[in-house]
Amino acid sequence: MSEILSINNISKSYGKIHAVEQVSLSIHNGEVYGILGPNGSGKTTTLGIILDVLKADSGTFNWFGKAPDKFTRKKIGSLLETPNFYPYLSARQNLGIACKVKQVPESEIDRVLAIVNLTQRANSKFKTYSLGMKQRLALASALLGNPDVLVLDEPTNGLDPQGIAEVRTIIKDLVAQGKTIIMASHILDEVEKICSHVAVLKSGKLLTYGPIQAVLNKQEQVYVAAEDMGLLKAVLGQIDGVSGIKESSNKIYLMLAQGKDSAYLNKALFEKGIVVKELGVQKPDLEANFLELVK
Amino acid sequence: MNLLNIELKKILPYSTFWVILILVFALIPAVFYGIGQIQIQGAPFDMKQMYRFPGVWNNLTYLASWFNLLIGMLLVILVCNEFSFKTFRQQVIDGQSKSDFVISKIMVMVIISLASTIYLFLIGMLFGLTTTSGNVSMFENIHYLGVYFIQAIGYMSVGFLLATIIRSTALSIIIFMLSILIESIIQIFVPAGIERFFPMEIIANLTPNPIYQSMMVQAQQMQNMQMNGQVTPPQMDMLSLGTTIMVASIYIMLFWGVTYFILTKKDIR
Repeated sequence: MSEILSINNISKSYGKIHAVEQVSLSIHNGEVYGILGPNGSGKTTTLGIILDVLKADSGTFNWFGKAPDKFTRKKIGSLLETPNFYPYLSARQNLGIACKVKQVPESEIDRVLAIVNLTQRANSKFKTYSLGMKQRLALASALLGNPDVLVLDEPTNGLDPQGIAEVRTIIKDLVAQGKTIIMASHILDEVEKICSHVAVLKSGKLLTYGPIQAVLNKQEQVYVAAEDMGLLKAVLGQIDGVSGIKESSNKIYLMLAQGKDSAYLNKALFEKGIVVKELGVQKPDLEANFLELVK
Repeated sequence: MNLLNIELKKILPYSTFWVILILVFALIPAVFYGIGQIQIQGAPFDMKQMYRFPGVWNNLTYLASWFNLLIGMLLVILVCNEFSFKTFRQQVIDGQSKSDFVISKIMVMVIISLASTIYLFLIGMLFGLTTTSGNVSMFENIHYLGVYFIQAIGYMSVGFLLATIIRSTALSIIIFMLSILIESIIQIFVPAGIERFFPMEIIANLTPNPIYQSMMVQAQQMQNMQMNGQVTPPQMDMLSLGTTIMVASIYIMLFWGVTYFILTKKDIR
């Protein structure tokens, strides 16, 4: 896998506030990288720096293994913060300008408008658009020229539930096409549903990064209870593939190795002479894991 | 050419652009005609003389120079729009460089200046041809159109710089209009001789006041006639047109350079 973006020790401060502090990250071809963090954690600042609109105080970054210039930016589809268009121009005219800037054929306009479902309103002035439509137009603009790399900053910002679902479907399609996507979000659910990798930012510092399962502990937990909790706990320790045993509120929580399920656990316990009173699988609480991370 | 194409896509559908331009283009001939119609009781000359060749070029460009301030404001609006709509930021994200932005705006200035210069040529021809009789050189003072062209670019370059520094449309327009006043206040405090080289003054003097001009000629004639100095001719202390053009051109290029420098130093929010 070739490296698409490498960020090396980037720092930026606004006066006394450290917006981004010593952030380094490496993103490879085909990865869907979520940049997760609360508001004001430095997500947009980081994206602004790699898109050359903000100047880093120190540190460097490379796109496609080279120092960045305007030609590398033409190959990246970007949506940064708010949708930026001329209010007095129609969607079509605005995208026409974006096509000329990115040097892609204007035949792209109809294609991207269809993707974001704005074909009907293509000739309406941008200022007549609702917030959700503006956001979708910004996404359309990012899709011009069918770029292999996309940088999306809060792509579902300002959308209603239906719009959020639509945009997520669009992004999932892009993922299916094997595009590399860098997406900032403060919505854990969004990152979890779309991304393969995640970097967690807090107060400008990179807390952790890596494959999403590893970072957010996406593994399911199994809980089990029996009459004799002491014996149960002792026996569990002897069973192959059981880890992370924790007792809380009269239940024992544990994790099972890949390929082993609750039936396997039940059978193993029964063989050791324990009849379980309660056995169940609990979906991972990502929210809790995430809040634990950024605490 | 791609850059110019992009600029035209932004400007041509923009109604404010047309309103200002049409206003300027309508007012110049209207006011020029109006001034010529003024009857001065007992004056030994007819104001309508100002329509005639070759004086029309000086008279018309001097009048039009006042409207160049509006043309400068137009550029302030166009540039501030790019900041307030955040479209400059978007175009950098999409793959333009900051120098592309400066070059694009210079192209816009040249186009607007060229259009109004050509328009003034047509207006001048119209007034000249309909009023001039006898054998005079039509194009004797035609170089005034050239300096008018430089002046329009000059005012727009000042507007470009101010808009880049200030970024808010309303504030930029106010500072732009006040810059002449601010400059004349500063001029009080500088040593004599230097004040003639201040930018707004230099740019304004590109199209010299025709009344001053004729007074200067008269003064020269008086000086020649009255060699013994019985009459003290009025002192006219102006830079030559050549020097003014040169200094103005240096200023214009300096403004472009400073604008580019500011763009590269600042974050684009």
